[in-house]
Amino acid sequence: MVMERRENQSPQNETARILVEFLEVAITSIVFLKGIYPSGAFERRRYMNAVVQRARHPQLRDYIHSAVSGLLPFIQKGLVERVAVIFFNVDNIPIERFIFKLAVNQSYDSKVEEAALEFSLRSFLIKLPVSETLTKALPRDCRWEITAYFHSLPDASRSKDAEVWIPTDTKQWQTPPVISPIKSMTTEPLCLQLYLEHPSSSEPNS
Amino acid sequence: MSLNSSRSANSGERSKRSLNSTSSNPSNNSGKKRKTGNQKTLGMAWGSNSRSSSRSSFRNSPFSDFGSYMVEKNRKLQNQFDAGASSSSHSALSSGKPIFHGVSVFVDGFTIPSSQELRGYMMRHGGHFENYFSRHRVTHIICSNLPDSKIKNLRSFSGGLPVVKPTWVLDSVAANKLLSWIPYQLDQLANETRNQPKLSAFFALKSIPVFEDAVTHTTYPLVPETEDSVFKGGTSKDAVSSEGGQYLEYTRQSSGEIDDHQCENTNETIIEKPFSNDEKSSEIKMEEQSFSNQEEECSIKNELQSSPHRPSASVSSYYLDNARKESSSTTVVGCSNKGHSTLEDPNFVENYFKYSRLHFIGTWRNRYQKRFPRLSNEFKHTSSDLNASGVSQKNVIIHMDMDCFFVSVVIRNNPELQDKPVAVCHSNNPKGTAEISSANYPARDYGVKAGIFVRDAKALCPHLVIFPYNFEAYEEAVSCDEAFLEVMDSKEGDPELLASIIRKEIFETTGCTASAGIAGNLLMARLATRSAKPNGQCYIPVDKVDDYLHQLPIKALPGIGHVLEEKLRRRKVHTCGQLRMISKESLQRDFGTKTGDMLWNYCRGVDNRVVGVIQESKSIGAEVNWGVRFNDLKDSRHFLVNLCKEVTLRLKGCGVQGRTFTLKMKKRRKDAGEPAKYMGCGDCENLSHSMTVPLATDDVDVIQRIATQLFGFFHIDVKDIRGIGLQVSRLENADTAKQGHQRISIRSWLTSAPATNEELCKTSCLVRKERAVADGEKQSTDISLGQLSNDSKRPSLQMSPSSSNNEAPLNQVSELPALCDLDMGVLESLPPELLSEINDMYAGKLSDFIRKRKGKNENVSGTMCTTSYEIYEGAINNGKQLHCSIVPIRKTPVENKVEKTLDREIATENSLLQSSEVEKVKQYKIDEIQEVSVSGAVSLNVVDPASALEKSDLMPSSLSQVDISVLQQLPKEMWVDILEQLPVHRKPEHSSSAALDPLIANAQESLCFKHTENNSKSVDSVLGNNLWIGNPPQWVDKFKVSNCLLLNILAEMYYRSGSTGCLSSILQCTLSKFLLPLDASSDGWDETISSLCDLLKQYIKIKIESDIEEIYVCFRLLKRFTMKSKLFLEAYNVVFPYLQASAGENYGGSLQLSHAKE
Repeated sequence: MVMERRENQSPQNETARILVEFLEVAITSIVFLKGIYPSGAFERRRYMNAVVQRARHPQLRDYIHSAVSGLLPFIQKGLVERVAVIFFNVDNIPIERFIFKLAVNQSYDSKVEEAALEFSLRSFLIKLPVSETLTKALPRDCRWEITAYFHSLPDASRSKDAEVWIPTDTKQWQTPPVISPIKSMTTEPLCLQLYLEHPSSSEPNS
Repeated sequence: MSLNSSRSANSGERSKRSLNSTSSNPSNNSGKKRKTGNQKTLGMAWGSNSRSSSRSSFRNSPFSDFGSYMVEKNRKLQNQFDAGASSSSHSALSSGKPIFHGVSVFVDGFTIPSSQELRGYMMRHGGHFENYFSRHRVTHIICSNLPDSKIKNLRSFSGGLPVVKPTWVLDSVAANKLLSWIPYQLDQLANETRNQPKLSAFFALKSIPVFEDAVTHTTYPLVPETEDSVFKGGTSKDAVSSEGGQYLEYTRQSSGEIDDHQCENTNETIIEKPFSNDEKSSEIKMEEQSFSNQEEECSIKNELQSSPHRPSASVSSYYLDNARKESSSTTVVGCSNKGHSTLEDPNFVENYFKYSRLHFIGTWRNRYQKRFPRLSNEFKHTSSDLNASGVSQKNVIIHMDMDCFFVSVVIRNNPELQDKPVAVCHSNNPKGTAEISSANYPARDYGVKAGIFVRDAKALCPHLVIFPYNFEAYEEAVSCDEAFLEVMDSKEGDPELLASIIRKEIFETTGCTASAGIAGNLLMARLATRSAKPNGQCYIPVDKVDDYLHQLPIKALPGIGHVLEEKLRRRKVHTCGQLRMISKESLQRDFGTKTGDMLWNYCRGVDNRVVGVIQESKSIGAEVNWGVRFNDLKDSRHFLVNLCKEVTLRLKGCGVQGRTFTLKMKKRRKDAGEPAKYMGCGDCENLSHSMTVPLATDDVDVIQRIATQLFGFFHIDVKDIRGIGLQVSRLENADTAKQGHQRISIRSWLTSAPATNEELCKTSCLVRKERAVADGEKQSTDISLGQLSNDSKRPSLQMSPSSSNNEAPLNQVSELPALCDLDMGVLESLPPELLSEINDMYAGKLSDFIRKRKGKNENVSGTMCTTSYEIYEGAINNGKQLHCSIVPIRKTPVENKVEKTLDREIATENSLLQSSEVEKVKQYKIDEIQEVSVSGAVSLNVVDPASALEKSDLMPSSLSQVDISVLQQLPKEMWVDILEQLPVHRKPEHSSSAALDPLIANAQESLCFKHTENNSKSVDSVLGNNLWIGNPPQWVDKFKVSNCLLLNILAEMYYRSGSTGCLSSILQCTLSKFLLPLDASSDGWDETISSLCDLLKQYIKIKIESDIEEIYVCFRLLKRFTMKSKLFLEAYNVVFPYLQASAGENYGGSLQLSHAKE
């Protein structure tokens, strides 16, 4: 029964489902990587046959889970352009941004090779912990948030899913950031890239 | 909120009464009479006070609840109103669209005239009258007075709708057009200090389109009438008699009226403006490209219509420069009746710049340069000569400056004001906070000076006469208000004498006075003018400079503004003498090298600038900091679009295109209140974002897209935006850029699916058209071909239609290009979503096509290619007859059959249809055949040249279809032959490799998606992303045969690294295997670098969007190469900016290639 339902699903929905699940894990890993919470707040798990961290605190887990699963309908429609994990200081000025740039081929209509997709996504989870050298040390009292960038703003009145998303208070950098790529993949129908954004040296507040 | 709830039950009765009142007064058609009848209306209550009682009384009624009762009641009232309207709206017939079309009013409380009368007006002039307030139906709320509570809570009261005084309705009726309601807004609200909430409350989104709509519709119908009255006069009766008596009468009446008004206007014009003549005005028009004709025309009508009715007609007539060119009357006076913020005025940007003094001054130089390009060039030339010949020569510089220029022009036109205090300002409102921009000397004696508010000026000098700007007159008068002249001491006699001659001449020609400063350099001349004013001249010889400067306040020096002055004051520096005490080093340390240098020089009277050197402007842009208020994203978008238009016009006006776009934003500080200056920007944070595109552009669409993208970077509340500016820098001359190609390739960069898609369609149409034109040229030969092919027993339909049908292109334009016409390279480089869209357009055939073609491409053996070359070659050498014999060989039997049957079909249709239509049908069928042949017979699509042969004609019908890379690989004689065979407009030169240029240009125009670096002459780079196409990619073979060792190694590494096509693995492999220095061979250095650069650039282009990691790895590796190899270093340096530009394009940032931690 379950298998049947899956087969009936469009490849986009299927991809989005896998992607959202992956994002939840990846974002948790990023938060772990940045050491914003004590390491005791996480526990080791295995996902896609790679060692990952899982948040133990229910609130943290819920936040990440609800954020990414809230994106599901929009990813399915191909509305989401980027998902950012932004670390910012007390003045709401971002210090480091992890960007997942994603593109789901909306016209792809053959079956999704779940194994191939997972294999590619797995490489992100493996690459992430070794990319720590690229990241910046965070000051104390840092906060973080998950921000999604849409191709076009969803109509809040029409879909209930959009209501949970609010405009962010986080400030923007005034100059274009510098980018450090971490991982990219292109497997039909998903093209996913993870890269870091840091304020450029000419940024006034940095 | 219970705005929708009931009033008392007598409303039905009242509306009946109003019906009576209108019918009893049918003569009141013109609506000009202002009735102040007995007010017995009770006013419309808002509250829900009767709710409970009514609810109880309806309990037994057939209505299930209160809501349904109200719905029913509203419906009935509506019907009554409509019935009344249809019986009483005569005037609506006469002017096409009635005045109040789209306006729906709700009257609140006691009004004069009464709500019933207002209702009557609305009824007669096409408006609507709502008895109950509804946010969805009502567009304007009319009332004379509001209780305090409602003012305090305006939004909930008005639902964001405009609250207007009833005189608005009366005046609109009197003016016979829908006036802007802004001047009529309720005093209580207009005087309110909290501007922003009020304004935003007023401009609910929906009221804007209504307003716009109404204005345009009310102005247009008058156009024919005006013409009638002018040209036909009395004969109009005959012309429109069929339209019915009433209409006729009104037309005559109104046209007569308008005729009169027009005469009046022109008369006034003649009296008031003796200076303006036709020639001048047309000249100005040509320069002022920024205002579209249509708009102008429209507003002239507007003006004709409205100005005579305005109470201030006598004043406004002054501004009516000339009925033809002037388009500003309504808006200049607009301080009283035109929208001022971005919210209310849909053409805000345009109007803003139309009436901006700074803009006028700022753009003057561009106009001037355009007008006298030769002059300035010559001047430049001579001045550079001067520099070369003798710096030591002692020159004198004269600085001429018009005295209070803006006012002088006014006074010139109004000699009676000669000795009265006069000022020029936007607004004449005595309470206003508009800034005086210029005041004459009598006014200055009162303390009125530039920059102070009108209300202060009025306080200082109550009889001050204030005029608005009159830019046309300024242009006529002198075109600019200051100039520098460099006079060589040796040639002319006394520079003072010369200056006085010039001043005299200026006065005689323009009627305005000028002052002159004479000194050894620009700085001193300008300072001298300062002391010379008004109407005098001053000479500062070199030996007096020190004395002059000693007591001069530093503020007087150009380049010292408030900030710098304040900084210096803190150091106790007030005069130039004190400034001189500070050492240059200290100045440079404190103020930066440039500013420090400037200060040091200026306070010593040193100025090394040269007269007449026209600086190329480094950036062009437009900025609006006044009146910028937005309610939501839509407003700001609209504003941005208009700003982009303005910037585009300026770019075009200067004939340049830019690469870097900077969007500046003024954001209200959190704690900043409403600024003192009305609608000013107040205390703001300045933010900016910029973006660089690889190709310069002045295309409005592209700029709009970029601006929108940039706008997206600021995540700020649009309500806090107080100013927006768009600046374009990295300017390039527009002529050097190839317009067509450039425009489209930039678009492909900014990938927004629908737009690009549209572009693609256009492009393909273009290709088609080109082909069709070429076909037309080939007509005669093709006909013979067609015959020949008949001989060879092949029904060659392809020939005949394309050769004989000149209408074909028209039919084809809307069709999709045949699949085989699509270029694989282009398709491959398209983003997947775009591809899928195109695929849909082809009903899914495209993906099949691509798949098969790809597969085929891989299987193609070298021999296959050579055979097709051979065939091709043979065809060319042996003349066209051979083509026919090739065809049957290469077409599959299946396809032939299809064609035959189709042919038969066509033949039968032939007998039925007209010949031209048959041709269309044929064309269509052939397209079908092509599609069939492509999807059915894949073997035909071998490689590019072969596919070119595949098209309906044997020869590609134009160069655009030829694959240049293939052509290039052919022996030179052969491609020369091919070029000769193909219909091109220009005959290419045979000798040099540059011969390919026209061909390439052609190809690009049609293929359009091949992005190239700007102005690059190199054939390789122009070839787009061909290098990475194929398996192995083309570059491998190309590099293999190269005579450069390095390139050979790279080609070899391709295979050694496992033929993955991944540049990073190739580089990795190269790095690990070759430790020896790579620059061994020095010959062909440049060529090697350019090949390498092309390889890298094309790779970036392919990968940047989907795989930044790969690019990143490649460049990190390349960086390691650069340490070993100068060649790589050079190539790296060439490509690096391109890389960063591409990264900026796709990711809005630059790639970080080095990390501090390493």
